[in-house]
Amino acid sequence: MTLVVAVGSDPGALNPAVTTSGSTHPITDQIFNGLVGLDEQLQPIPELAERWSVEDGGRTYRFTLRPGVKWHDGTPFTSADVKFTFEEALLKYHSRTRAALEGLLATVETPDDLTAVFRLKRSYGPLLQRLDVVEASIIPKHQYEGHDLLNGEPTRRPVGTGPFRFVSYSPADRIILERNPTYFREGMPGIDRLVFRILPNSASAVAALESGEVDYTVSVPGPDIPRLQRTPGISVVKSAGGSGGSACQDVLIPNLTRQPFTDVRVRRAIAHAIDRQFLVERVYFGQGRPATGPISHLMSWAYNADVRQYPHDIAEARKLLDEAGLKPNAGGERFTVTFTHGANLQRLGQALREQLKAVGITLNLEMLDFSAAVDRVFAKKTFDLGLASYCNGADPDIGVRRVYVSSNIGPYPFSNGASYRNPTIDRLFDEGARLLDKNSRREKYVEIQRILADEVPYFWLVDTETLRAHRGTFTGFRLWTGAFAETVRPVPATTR
Amino acid sequence: MTRTAGAARWLTRRALFALLVVAGVTTFTFILIHLAPGDPIYLLAGDGGNASYYNEMRAKYGLDLPLLEQFVRYARAVMSGDFGHSFMYQQPVLRVLLDHLPATLLLGGTSLLFAVALGFGAALLCVTWPVRVVDAAVRGAASIAFSAPVYWTGQVFILIAAVKLGVLPAGGITSARESLEGFRYAGDLFWHLLLPAFTLALPFAAVVTRVSRASMLETLREPHVRAALARGLSRPRLILRHVARNASIPVVTLVGQHAAQLLAGAALTEALFGWPGVGHLVLHAGAHRDYPLVTAAFIFISAGVVFFNLLTDAATAWLDPRVRLA
Repeated sequence: MTLVVAVGSDPGALNPAVTTSGSTHPITDQIFNGLVGLDEQLQPIPELAERWSVEDGGRTYRFTLRPGVKWHDGTPFTSADVKFTFEEALLKYHSRTRAALEGLLATVETPDDLTAVFRLKRSYGPLLQRLDVVEASIIPKHQYEGHDLLNGEPTRRPVGTGPFRFVSYSPADRIILERNPTYFREGMPGIDRLVFRILPNSASAVAALESGEVDYTVSVPGPDIPRLQRTPGISVVKSAGGSGGSACQDVLIPNLTRQPFTDVRVRRAIAHAIDRQFLVERVYFGQGRPATGPISHLMSWAYNADVRQYPHDIAEARKLLDEAGLKPNAGGERFTVTFTHGANLQRLGQALREQLKAVGITLNLEMLDFSAAVDRVFAKKTFDLGLASYCNGADPDIGVRRVYVSSNIGPYPFSNGASYRNPTIDRLFDEGARLLDKNSRREKYVEIQRILADEVPYFWLVDTETLRAHRGTFTGFRLWTGAFAETVRPVPATTR
Repeated sequence: MTRTAGAARWLTRRALFALLVVAGVTTFTFILIHLAPGDPIYLLAGDGGNASYYNEMRAKYGLDLPLLEQFVRYARAVMSGDFGHSFMYQQPVLRVLLDHLPATLLLGGTSLLFAVALGFGAALLCVTWPVRVVDAAVRGAASIAFSAPVYWTGQVFILIAAVKLGVLPAGGITSARESLEGFRYAGDLFWHLLLPAFTLALPFAAVVTRVSRASMLETLREPHVRAALARGLSRPRLILRHVARNASIPVVTLVGQHAAQLLAGAALTEALFGWPGVGHLVLHAGAHRDYPLVTAAFIFISAGVVFFNLLTDAATAWLDPRVRLA
């Protein structure tokens, strides 16, 4: 059986250890493995590492590797591959993993072929969450040694340990993978061939799904959702994660170095003026839930709803703006700000403009292409209001910390775009990362959420969930991880 | 002066001019794409990095140098035949472009054939069957075909032919589910080619219709045609023998100019149908700020336009003895 997956863009080079690209990982995450996998609650489960122990108060992680694992070319997988991957690839080129580990990871020791010991400079709780196939795919030393990791020959013929082997790649057309018959997980994968078809237009991808040319599509345009949900033979499913990032939030970013956002009363007023429920229903077509704070409700162990709330309340918003001295002029207008956004956010911009108008704030919409908007908000910082989809990832230390700590105020994308500074928050994030026990870690994140909801340095709009659609002929998609295809299997014709 | 010597001089002059045009386009594209806001590093390397990482990557790709120095380096490399490495594909730009060229040529060529057959046919229908209703219908259809954007017509065709009727595929160049060979492959390819080629052909077919219809009507009024009519030659024969050839001259000029445009201009159709051609590539490369790929693509597209224009002029001269190359 062949599973055909529609993806939006060309992956380019196929080395997952040197990029976080959302075009590369959906493909390579089926070819490679991490030391650990992540279960549905994003908790680590054995993958290339069969088991592990945390020693030395969280400063040493000892991994025992699964014996008998072979690369697709037949070479045995060993601890040397792990050491090579971290030292030569991840710590040099993988933006997220490098930023997190370069000051933390002292050495990777390999006492024998099946043991890898990570020695850290200080204790670090969420290390395992950083070692799945998305954050840290393990690549073969024997293939890459002596080649350029970014554009050498092996980036075009990837050799992994994963459930699927690479067959061919025709740029802008398709990538063909086939079943790895010697995959270490018994009885997997459940399909013979996996073909990624590149269809940049999402409406065309949906049409191809409906006509049966494609079996699975990783995004569904909002207006198509109701129709697809009614179409027999097609299942529309909610997903919180995947290679593109998990537990994401769409967040409005105020430039805190500019008036009037410096005043917390103004920020609270804006938070009250925004009708999140309306946004979820009319702009996101039900794909998500109103956000209440800096951590998505999908990260349930750390999430805390018991924080200062900002229900949609125009009277309260007006009162706060009056208190801040921003009285309306004769035309009912208090002040004007510009919202710099990518072309895909046109609907959101229009909805926000109407909602803010109700409290006397005029919102100018500045629509740019995605790269240009990112550049203006994060690099040049010449903006009033911007927007980003910040993904929490598998742990608050991966995707939440970077948005709020003062050490991460750009100038580079998806950093602390608001330029928010609070030493207490910086300290709490550091403490949260050092602790090993989940309950004690939760306490730190609960406190962080309480302070941030009080100060509203950002406007959290929606905890987004992506809808994906597949034909009823297949089942078993793992929607929370990048390695979605391993467990997919055909539905027997009799039970359809 | 002999005709050959004249042609040779004409060719030299035009070739020099072409070089100037291409050099101009290169400079302009290089400056424009580098000045456009946005940084290729973010899309290339990903998010969540720190400052030292982004600075290192920028240096690795030579993006930390002053723009003038980057341009001088680039111009030098291009003159020695090195068009650089694509950021997105991590491969030589030339190779990436060549990979995408066959699909574009196939789609462009087929759509040209469709457009000319459709447009010329419609015009012939108008003049051989001079009924008001037919003429009005053809002209009306041509107006709609010309003004409807391919993005819209393409989606309508996909919805009707692929989703509702299920007779033609919605996208791609060949079926993704199976790997076919030989004749079955060719058949599958043709099947996938029909919708995008037809979509792309429509606006141009409208232009061909209007131009050839006007030119046929004009020829019909010429004295030698009227004389032939008076001698008793039947209208269909007259049109085929005397009118059609004359009317084809402006169409050839049109086709030449349009062929050049197709090299670059099929981006929307290609993206809509997931057709792996150059237009789709350039669109994608622009959005990703793949500077080397965008610049090289424009060098080749402008060279293509210049080349096709040259070819058109030569073909016109060959078809119409009144035109001299000098």
